[in-house]
Amino acid sequence: MSKLPLSLRIAANAGCSLVLAFLVLPILSVVPISLNKSSFIAMPPKAYSGVWYGRFFADPEWHSSLVHSLEIAAITTVLALIIGTLAAIGLRRVNGRLRVGLTALFLAPMIVPVIVTAVAFYRSALDIGLNGTIIGMSLGHTILALPFVVINVGISLRTIDPNWISAAEGLGAGPFVIFRTVVLPHIVPGLTGAAVFSFVTSFDEVVIAVFMAGYGNKTLPVKIWESIRLEFTPVIAVAATMMIAIAIVLFALSHSITPKADEAPQ
Amino acid sequence: MVRRKLIKRGQIETACLLAPALVVLALVFVVPLARLFSLAFTDPAGPFATFETLAGSPVYRTIAVNTLLMAFAVTFICALLAWPVSYVLSRLKGRLFGLALYGVLFPFWISVLVRTFAWMLILERNGPVNRFLMALHLTDHPLALLFNNTGVLIGMVHVLMPYIILPLYSAMVRVDRRLLLASDGLGASLLDTFRRVYFPLCLPGLAGGATFVFLLSLGFFITPSLLGGSNAINLSMLIASFVNDRLAWSLAAAASMVLLAAVLLIIAAAAKLLPLDRGFLAR
Repeated sequence: MSKLPLSLRIAANAGCSLVLAFLVLPILSVVPISLNKSSFIAMPPKAYSGVWYGRFFADPEWHSSLVHSLEIAAITTVLALIIGTLAAIGLRRVNGRLRVGLTALFLAPMIVPVIVTAVAFYRSALDIGLNGTIIGMSLGHTILALPFVVINVGISLRTIDPNWISAAEGLGAGPFVIFRTVVLPHIVPGLTGAAVFSFVTSFDEVVIAVFMAGYGNKTLPVKIWESIRLEFTPVIAVAATMMIAIAIVLFALSHSITPKADEAPQ
Repeated sequence: MVRRKLIKRGQIETACLLAPALVVLALVFVVPLARLFSLAFTDPAGPFATFETLAGSPVYRTIAVNTLLMAFAVTFICALLAWPVSYVLSRLKGRLFGLALYGVLFPFWISVLVRTFAWMLILERNGPVNRFLMALHLTDHPLALLFNNTGVLIGMVHVLMPYIILPLYSAMVRVDRRLLLASDGLGASLLDTFRRVYFPLCLPGLAGGATFVFLLSLGFFITPSLLGGSNAINLSMLIASFVNDRLAWSLAAAASMVLLAAVLLIIAAAAKLLPLDRGFLAR
């Protein structure tokens, strides 16, 4: 077992390569299609041009949906980071069943199927006129991003020795000074990871956005969702390529900022 | 006295730290869920009429069965395909390891919608898969790979596979190789070592990942809607159609409760039966 026979090793490597190709290549296939010259979606394209990128930016519905998505993702990130970090710090200060219960509550949005969360929130938002608003969609996305913030910040809080806090208190530091000088430096890696994850979670989210979006503030995924079902033009491939590009930039960013600790996921 | 005051102050501080998140969770999540579920019992025909409608109709029963079968199929295929990837990942070092790991992590970062759209292009009647199969003379007419269960299966396996590869990989790297050597040295065959040493040690990761994949597939909405359409309706799509097409809120609420109950049952069963420990939330 420690040394598999050659045939099995070849089979494992071949299987691994095939599955990795299956995971990565289909995603990249939208890029050449976004550069297609003709108005039919064909793969591979017969001639290349950037005409559909021009269409994307010329159409106010498309490029404003990109702006809405970025706006909502930014609001979501700020909201989730603030309330999630405070909650993670608060969780460290409670014990026993209360801690277990609160943790379960904070992680619950990860477990409840998104369609259920979306329909429930949509129904209540209808009653108070929150549907179709940017803040409504941001609040919905904040719930989905919250578990990542609580987990990530919680993990980095564990690197702080409680004695350091006692020492700072003994030296006369107030809670805000302690947060800024002792806690914050230690949770920066967790915070950056959580920020990127919150942003991507919101930027990619479709289900809550499809229910909550109004006519005037569709997000990019909502616009893609509607276009796939209505007209199916190469502009969708342009939008998809942009979503991939933004995801790659954020991915690279998070890896260059955070230390190598997350090289091998646990 | 002073000490008690200090403790009390500490508790108030803790409450203030937790309060913002709890308020947002309550307003956006807990209260709306409770309000939605209460709608399930508001049917004029009686408090449980909605559940009777759901259980009594062969159409809805078929949808529930289809959702379950699809989740089983997706989980099974993901669990099977994860083995070579996780194994090779656990043996690789350096550059190649980084490259392979990025291959698994990259899809995680791409929107499910984009990934599903890509599959729509690939599985089309005249798409690359069909042209490839026809060029090899494996089929003489384009296969229907889209707008049916085949398309949904392919798309969902693609989206969910990383969720099982990573926990299985982290179980595999924790396997002490000396145990395998010992088993080998004691004369066990390759198959025996796998069956009695390696597999049991990998089981926590595999079971955790499989549970997660199964849970996510039960509630999947985007991929089945676009790749399956009206030929492969699942519970999530049924809920959406109750809300959007029929404005039947009480039925949507009842179906949501059924879906959530199924998810919670599986979590409870998994927590009891499976050696989940760290595998479940591992990413």
